[in-house]
Amino acid sequence: MRLTARSRNTNMAVCIAVIAKENYPLYIRSVPTQNELKFHYTVHTSLDVVEEKISAVGKSLGDQRELYLGLLYPTEDYKLKPNILNWRTRYGYVTNSKVKFVIVVDSSNTSLRDNEIRSMFRKLHNSFTDVMCNPFHNPGDPIQSKAFDGIVSGMMVQTG
Amino acid sequence: MADEAPFQFLHNEVIQYIYKSADSGETENGRNISRLENMGFRVGQGLIERLTKDTARFKDELDVMKFICKDFWTCVFKKQIDNLRTNHQGIYVLQDNKFRLLGQLSAGKQYLEQAPKYLAFTCGLVRGALSNLGVKSIVTAEVSIMPACKFQVMIQKT
Amino acid sequence: MECQEEKPIIYTMENKPIVTCAGDQSLFTSLYTSLAQQLPREPMEWRRTYGRAPKMIHLEANFVQFKEELLPKEGNKALLTFPFLHIYWTDCCDTEVYKGSVKEDMMRWQNSLRAHGSADWVIIVVETNDNKKKNKTNILPRSSIVDKIRSDFCNKQNDRCVVLSDPLKDSSRSQESWNSLLLKLRTLLLMSFTKNLGRFEDDMRTLREKRTQPGWSFCEYFMVQEELAFVFEMLQQFEDALVQYDELDALFTQYVLNFGAGDTANWLGSFCAPVRNWSGLLLRRPIDMEKRDGIQRGEASLLDLRSYLFSRQCTLLIFLQRPWEVTQRALELLHNCVQELRLLEVSVLEGALDCWVFLSCLEVLHRIEGCCDQAQLAANCSHTVGLWAYATDKLKSLGELCGLVSEKGPTSEDLNRTVDLLAGLGDERPETVNSLQSPYKKLKEALSSVEAFERHYLELSHAAMEMYRAISRLRSARLVGKSLAEFYMRKGDPERAETFLQEALKSYVSEGWSLPVTHTRKQIAECQKLLSRTEDYLQTSALLAGDVNLTTEERKHFCQEILTFAGKSGDQSHKVTLSMGVFTQLTRLQFRPATASVHSGAVLQVELTLRCLMPVSVRIQQLAASIHFDLERGGTNGRSKGAQRQTNPGIVEFHQANPSAGPPSSSASPSLELDEIQDRSPSDNSLNSTGVVCKNTHLVMRRHDSNSPPDTPNCVSPPAVAMKEGAQMLQVQDVTLEPGNNSIVFTAPSGQPGTYTLRQLFATVGQVQFVLPHIYPSVQYEVYSQEPQLTVEPLSEPLLAGLPQMVKFTLLTGHYAVKKGDALQLSNTDTMPILPSTSCSARISNPAAELVAESALSIQSSEKVTSISLPPTPPYHTLEFQLEVLCVIPSGTERPANERLTNGEVRHRPRSYSHPDTPMTAIDQRMSIDCPWSIYSTLLALTFYIPFKTKHSLLSAGNRKYIQVCVQNVSDLNFTLAEVKLAEKQHVSLELQSLNTKTQQLLCSKHSVFCLWEVRWKDDLPSCLQCVFSADFSPVNQDVSAFKPFHYQFQLERVTTLYSVQAEIFPPAGEQHCRSGFLCGLEVSITRLTEPAEGEVAEDSKTDSDGLKTTKLMYEVADSSSNWAVCGKSSGMVSMPMAASATHKVQIEVMPLFAGHLPFPKIKVLKYLPHTAAVAIQPDPDSCVENDSLSLLDKTLDDQADTASIRSRGSVHSVGSGDQQQRGVAMPRLEPFSPGQVFNHSHTRQVLVLPSTDDHIMEVNAT
Repeated sequence: MRLTARSRNTNMAVCIAVIAKENYPLYIRSVPTQNELKFHYTVHTSLDVVEEKISAVGKSLGDQRELYLGLLYPTEDYKLKPNILNWRTRYGYVTNSKVKFVIVVDSSNTSLRDNEIRSMFRKLHNSFTDVMCNPFHNPGDPIQSKAFDGIVSGMMVQTG
Repeated sequence: MADEAPFQFLHNEVIQYIYKSADSGETENGRNISRLENMGFRVGQGLIERLTKDTARFKDELDVMKFICKDFWTCVFKKQIDNLRTNHQGIYVLQDNKFRLLGQLSAGKQYLEQAPKYLAFTCGLVRGALSNLGVKSIVTAEVSIMPACKFQVMIQKT
Repeated sequence: MECQEEKPIIYTMENKPIVTCAGDQSLFTSLYTSLAQQLPREPMEWRRTYGRAPKMIHLEANFVQFKEELLPKEGNKALLTFPFLHIYWTDCCDTEVYKGSVKEDMMRWQNSLRAHGSADWVIIVVETNDNKKKNKTNILPRSSIVDKIRSDFCNKQNDRCVVLSDPLKDSSRSQESWNSLLLKLRTLLLMSFTKNLGRFEDDMRTLREKRTQPGWSFCEYFMVQEELAFVFEMLQQFEDALVQYDELDALFTQYVLNFGAGDTANWLGSFCAPVRNWSGLLLRRPIDMEKRDGIQRGEASLLDLRSYLFSRQCTLLIFLQRPWEVTQRALELLHNCVQELRLLEVSVLEGALDCWVFLSCLEVLHRIEGCCDQAQLAANCSHTVGLWAYATDKLKSLGELCGLVSEKGPTSEDLNRTVDLLAGLGDERPETVNSLQSPYKKLKEALSSVEAFERHYLELSHAAMEMYRAISRLRSARLVGKSLAEFYMRKGDPERAETFLQEALKSYVSEGWSLPVTHTRKQIAECQKLLSRTEDYLQTSALLAGDVNLTTEERKHFCQEILTFAGKSGDQSHKVTLSMGVFTQLTRLQFRPATASVHSGAVLQVELTLRCLMPVSVRIQQLAASIHFDLERGGTNGRSKGAQRQTNPGIVEFHQANPSAGPPSSSASPSLELDEIQDRSPSDNSLNSTGVVCKNTHLVMRRHDSNSPPDTPNCVSPPAVAMKEGAQMLQVQDVTLEPGNNSIVFTAPSGQPGTYTLRQLFATVGQVQFVLPHIYPSVQYEVYSQEPQLTVEPLSEPLLAGLPQMVKFTLLTGHYAVKKGDALQLSNTDTMPILPSTSCSARISNPAAELVAESALSIQSSEKVTSISLPPTPPYHTLEFQLEVLCVIPSGTERPANERLTNGEVRHRPRSYSHPDTPMTAIDQRMSIDCPWSIYSTLLALTFYIPFKTKHSLLSAGNRKYIQVCVQNVSDLNFTLAEVKLAEKQHVSLELQSLNTKTQQLLCSKHSVFCLWEVRWKDDLPSCLQCVFSADFSPVNQDVSAFKPFHYQFQLERVTTLYSVQAEIFPPAGEQHCRSGFLCGLEVSITRLTEPAEGEVAEDSKTDSDGLKTTKLMYEVADSSSNWAVCGKSSGMVSMPMAASATHKVQIEVMPLFAGHLPFPKIKVLKYLPHTAAVAIQPDPDSCVENDSLSLLDKTLDDQADTASIRSRGSVHSVGSGDQQQRGVAMPRLEPFSPGQVFNHSHTRQVLVLPSTDDHIMEVNAT
């Protein structure tokens, strides 16, 4: 029951992370104005839920087996502006090669719809696949690809 | 048929190349096999990444193996594995009754002693695919009457 | 609308749909109980509008007496108070009574209903037998009354009038009528619901459609839709009820969002009012009336609305047994509210929201705990833990806000802030006032004092951590732990803090998250500093100093921390050892020379490449590598050991994971070793199968725990190295390591021969010692010592005798240093003179085979020794020089007689022999050399090969004699042969006339040259000739100077021809020619040619009675090729007078066996020596003549009668048999003549034989 059709921008991620099978970061990019360290912490922590969801496969029935893990959990990040709590929502995605994608979205973008997140993940995954198939990329190494970087930048909140 | 021909030719040339370059220099046969296998490994890694991009997450090991036998094999060899067997303790045997890469070699025992070098790459291919799916394994192969051959996958429990 | 109208209803949660009762009240009351009981008993299917799924529901009703005012007025939205059904009761059976009163009453009832347009009514007629009995008079059949009523009221809807017969009896009949009644009621009720709810919903919808219109108010609408929710709730349709609230929720959310997006609805204004109360959610009441009123009055704040909405949803969810959805929704709610406040730019007192969130979290948790047992709670931590963690968080930030976390308690303004916050909580709710703990109480208490706060905070954090652990969300647990640690730090309790930090750090390191690692390390460093745990602190500082994630300033700071400590001139006893890896990394090690193996005392340099991780250059007092020495190995030949150690010699590369945790090194698993297999069938070796196998499966499959943290020296400081003094080590003093790669060159100790293994590396900076506990891969070098060695080898294989040849002398000095004046003394041999060469120079090269010097060396030769004075040469160098030697081809003058005629074989020092793999004859030349470093003289051998084989033979033609010499070149070179001469030593008279035309001739490899001389003599030919064959030879195309002489001596004996043998074959008498198979005559005539020579006489003559010397000869006709059959005696004796031209003729019958030109049968002549006079036994000639062995012997003799060598053997043989004679009984014996003594004319003559006419005979003779 939307009231007014509003132009939505799909670039609203504040942090995008790619995490290796073995759970070390292959790529973390966050909005420069934010505390990068914080994102490292929270992305790392969100692995808990990611793993929970992954291991839930088989136990729970139905389409639990899609790569998109959906919303991991929202948490409140520490104050950016004094007196205003800032909420962040994490979404998860896992490739069949057990590589995890985490997208942190600034919750002020509540307008964000699930399928938009999905499409962001798809884009990421496609680009990641290209990286994997790049002879200059050595599987397991941090991602250096400019192309991938570009895709990611496209999804990040434009700050300034 | 036609679209996979280039792969087959390339594959043959690779083998030629490896074995020629080995003749000058140390010519220890295991090394060549390993080199071929390693090439396959890298290819498998990349390929599986691409193939599983749009598939559902795998339920379990068996699920993975089925994928290898069906989609993966079809993508590479334009046919499925003819028979998959397992002891449910981490050993799988993939039987291909008409393995493409041997098809050109012979139908029977001729060149049998040459056959292994034509399997090494594929062993690597499978191992690479599996490892990228998080399944560590050792893949070996056996052929007695070409072009049929068996690949044995030994899963490494961690 | 008036509130008093609702209050009674809403407070009693026992809502039931209202049914009014008119008519006979007493009658109704009598039936009420059973009716109320029986109505809900049977469920009823409720078909819904808008395609909603039908539901089975149990209907209950609240029966109230009919009152006019119960009927809803126009526009009344209240649905709960709506009477859904109106019943009229009567038991009248008397027409009169009916007509009289009842009808009127019904009328009134009906009208008032109609007036309010409610069409849901029913008339119930109760009939009992007894009231039949009552008045027998003017009794009517009951039916008629009912019919009347029907006709009067329910025109065409007869079902509006129902009969209930003797309800109070329990008879089947009454039961039946009850059931039908109940069924009727239910149906009607449902119809009513459907109708009325439907209408209500329609109204509601239209109202909602108006929402864009200016006057529209959300609150009003809220009330309306909630009414619907209430009804559903009343009907136990919680699902539907929930939907209503969710719709409201969504609607509101949307409004807020739109507000954020710019279009504002004026009614939102009330929600934008600053927040004054943050008392949190209240979930204990089914309905929070205060808040509801607030909403109704449009005075509710955003938080109020949200709280109320959520409380309702919560209630319903709990009815629906979905407590976990509550917790999840709760989190989202809190999430939302915070957002919405932000969107609406509502001003909130700092901390107020924290309070609200904190209270709300706890409230929700309490509510849930209220409705679940422990087991359920434990099983569903994952749903609640979020709230716990959030609450913890909030409490913490409140604590910080109110200055409860600082070491020195709250300041005055902290206290003021606290008061304000508490004020916002208002009074505690009546529900919890008496309960001894509640969120409200908790918060108040927590904020009351530092201690209380700490208690509550810890309690919460630990609870959260526990839960996280329980559901194995370890990372989250650790994160809580970390913030706990931060709390402790604030409280000035680093000890507690560190444990949490370390735990967190471990996980970050093991999973390779470098930024958290760095950050956490910094915190740890802080703790350790506070705890003054110097060692750990320095260790951590070192790590941080090398941490690229930090700014250079920070890194410098930590580096400085170390250096300042190191600088402290404290007691030497207390040194701090840190692992080197964090300070500098050994990346590469290189040996010079690359072989990593030197002779004792030589210089071996080791270059270390160290990557210093420090941000600034660091000065190191001592950098040293301890060495383990062991004697064995090393030894004499250290050469080329180092080379095969690693692929690129002398260089060892070290790889290690960088300490600032990068990706964990996955190199743990060994790489596959694959190979081909071929499975062959045992029977025939045919291939069964081939394949690819893995050779090191067991290694690869070995389960190496993958989650072991990579070897990073984060918190572990290495074992202190006990440096035992005096132990050998590589060391340099006072080096300065610049950031990045440094290369340090050590000079390795190389005193004692043996193997040196580098063990530990350590750098000392004042008080601090950085230690690399073991160097891996292990690095070794070798020191060896070596005896001097002198070797001589030909410069070109093979060395040829007779030609000047170059030989190379190689001297490995080993540990001996060649001093000035040292010389090699070669004792000369005449068989191998050392040719004085014009320019002879020695090359000196070092162990690395580089030429270091080249100097001429002087050679003095006396006739005894040649002394070669060596240039001074350092130890372990190689001295090389070349000499030209000539091995004289032995020309054997003093050879034993019986060997002379044989081939060039020599018995002589240096002894020569025929070599298996070359046709050439080899000569070993030994030379003994006296070396300055040893008292013993060194013996060295050289092998030369004689390029030629020489043979000679004597040829005769009648009396004329010829000597043939054959020189065969068995070497691989081509020679020119010149000056071929043959000389006779003793007899001057004798003349050897050369029949060789060429003066020079080419003698190619494996070819032979034959030379021939005729022997001419004056008066008579000496019986024995001493010949010397000589020639000059040189390799092809070399100048004349290069010619070397070649001699070959031999001796010929009994050269003179004594007898000539002639033979004739005569055809049978009267025949022209011989015929096969026919006897013919063979006449052999033997003629003495010369006077007896002295030798002969001495040898075997006996004087006849007539004083005429005779000698006995034996002749034999033997036909080896069996062309002839000899008939009769084939051999015989003749005694020849020893005088010139004495002749003897013999006739023999022979028969040709074939036709054609047959060679003459062989005729042999041998000496016959009678037994020596000592034993006087008359020889029986025949016996010996017939002696087969003899004839055989002779035959063999004769067969081989051409080469000198063989002949000589023959003679040897005969001598042998001679010896036999001496040993055995003296017997007459035969001795062949030397070659040339007998000249056989018939040799190679042929005679024509015609075929016989009669084969038959030949047949006979053949046998």
